[in-house]
Amino acid sequence: MGMLDKVETMRRMCPVIFLLDTSGSMNGAPIGAVNSAIEGVLPELIAMNSGNSDNEIKVGIMSFDYGANWITGDELVSPEDLKASWKDLDAAGLTKMGEAFHDLNKKLSVSHGFMNRASGSVAPVLFLLSDGEPTDDYQAGLNELKNNNWYKVAAKVAIGYGDSNDDVLREFTGNVETVLHTNNPEDLRKMIRFVAITSSRVASTGSNAPDNSNPDDNTVKVSKAIQAQGGALAPADASDGGW
Amino acid sequence: MANSVRLQKFQQVELADGRTVTVVDKLGEGGQGVVYRVKFDDTGEEKALKWYFVSYFKEPRKFYAHLEDNIQVGAPSAAFIWPKQLTKWIDGESFGYIMDIIPNGYESFSKFLNVIVKFKSVKAMVNAALNIVAAFKALHNKGYNYQDLNDGNFSIDPATGKVLICDNDNVVGHGQQSGISGKARYMAPEVVRGEKQPDKNTDRYSLAVILFRLFAVDHPLEGKRTNVPALTDKYDKRFFGTQPLFIFDKNDSSNAPVPVPGLHQNAVTMWKYFPSFVKEAFQQSFSQDSLINIKGRLLEQDWFNILMRLKSSIVKCPQCGEEIFLESDRETICKSHKIKPVGYLNFTRRSNQAVTVPIFKDAVLYDYHVSGSEDFETVAAVILEKPGKFGLENKSSNTWFITLPNGKSVTKKPGEVLGLGVDSKIDFGNNIVATVVAN
Repeated sequence: MGMLDKVETMRRMCPVIFLLDTSGSMNGAPIGAVNSAIEGVLPELIAMNSGNSDNEIKVGIMSFDYGANWITGDELVSPEDLKASWKDLDAAGLTKMGEAFHDLNKKLSVSHGFMNRASGSVAPVLFLLSDGEPTDDYQAGLNELKNNNWYKVAAKVAIGYGDSNDDVLREFTGNVETVLHTNNPEDLRKMIRFVAITSSRVASTGSNAPDNSNPDDNTVKVSKAIQAQGGALAPADASDGGW
Repeated sequence: MANSVRLQKFQQVELADGRTVTVVDKLGEGGQGVVYRVKFDDTGEEKALKWYFVSYFKEPRKFYAHLEDNIQVGAPSAAFIWPKQLTKWIDGESFGYIMDIIPNGYESFSKFLNVIVKFKSVKAMVNAALNIVAAFKALHNKGYNYQDLNDGNFSIDPATGKVLICDNDNVVGHGQQSGISGKARYMAPEVVRGEKQPDKNTDRYSLAVILFRLFAVDHPLEGKRTNVPALTDKYDKRFFGTQPLFIFDKNDSSNAPVPVPGLHQNAVTMWKYFPSFVKEAFQQSFSQDSLINIKGRLLEQDWFNILMRLKSSIVKCPQCGEEIFLESDRETICKSHKIKPVGYLNFTRRSNQAVTVPIFKDAVLYDYHVSGSEDFETVAAVILEKPGKFGLENKSSNTWFITLPNGKSVTKKPGEVLGLGVDSKIDFGNNIVATVVAN
């Protein structure tokens, strides 16, 4: 091998994990908006990966309704592979968010989950979308998750749609600023796209915002980026007050 | 609202001088803002517009004024894609600046690091290093420091090694602060530790990281010790701040490269190719004294001399034809082939750095060698080989004066060839003298 024949180096992994509510109430325009948003996000993640020599985004998608189902299988996948294999999600069933949290907790593990990578992994993005009340004991699952070190350092974002319980979403993110809400399917598509892209960029490139006071609070870094770039998008709690 | 967070296609933006540009499309996006392709409405000329997410700035007006100053002072060298014009300031709204568009043929350094793009020749790779060093010398000489030097700042032509430096908006004058601490893995350890704000000396650490990765792809501080599953900021602070250790540290191998496919392979390969003086330069740049005590970092001029010595050491292995760096005064191993030149040209030291060229077929001397300039492109002499002897062809425009060991002197005009004999002294003019040393 000559000195110009470099081999591809394994970058650090930056997991971007979506938990998507596919309960029956999402049927129709909302799930259509989710599908088209995810399709639109993947090329952006591919572009981010090609320009980033530090970290490589890998994607996981879980749908939850009657139970939790990892669309992307037992390992995280590259955005290219997901784009090639993507099939639209259908919506039917309940909102077993507790089970979703329980399953996520299992997978946020090096020894028996997604996080095994020879070159290591940076803090993941955890993206939660829901349109209704959890129909199971979400608290039990969330309590497990809260003890998970990957969850602790993750950049946590959530979008509430329609009748979502945004208090639960805020409990998941631990930050009111990273929970957004909309009631309109077209806005939902734009919002998923914006939040997924912004959080993925922050998590995969690090923040070069001037103040770096909370080194491992990646949710705060994302909330700053959302505020800086969001323009018209307001956090969910802003839509509650004053109307 | 005239100027929103993001611009739309066909949106018109007014510049500070009253001219207007129209947005054509988006070129890229980063944490600080978006870069658009724009067209001047009067001339039709295409430029790039960097458009900030204004709320990132605590004091946007101050940053705007800082850009105004930099525009006035001008680019340190042609390698810098420097801000040219600001957009009109409107209280409470976003702003940006106009710059040149990176021409075709240049690829972002990140693509080299991701091995999507490779250098076309060893010479192009060394040229890229020389161009980067020359640009930062010009920047520092102008009293500026870069503050946020990282892989995202460079675009390189893989065929020639020509370099363009973008994202110059955080460049500040000595003693000033941009408010940016830099990018993880490129920030100097003392900045990571929170001891110092970025300055010229922290730039020099980042420059050494850039140079190492330009040649070796892998990160100089990532080895066995940093191979942990969860790379949170806590660990980053340890690996790149409080307990940094070079993967080829002279005295401590506890962070040596890991022999796992995909990890550190390029560094291991490249390290074998580096001649001793380049290894020493990196070992000094990433010594504990440099990383912990902020001492002994190489100046741009040091790197320049080292890289010139490297460039003049490029020859082909006579057995396998592969391009290698040939040591002047000791054996070089190319795969299993051992090669040692018959001798070398030994020049006067420059900034206390040795300047040598191995006497070997096709080794090249540049204007740098014969006139003392910093021109590393213009060929001034080439070493020729005939059975049993070596010659030095004068490709410069000066006549050389040679003193032979017996005291006789000869001259060689441009185009003539000097037979290289031991202990001859070659006076190239400009007080530049080299001695022929036998091994």
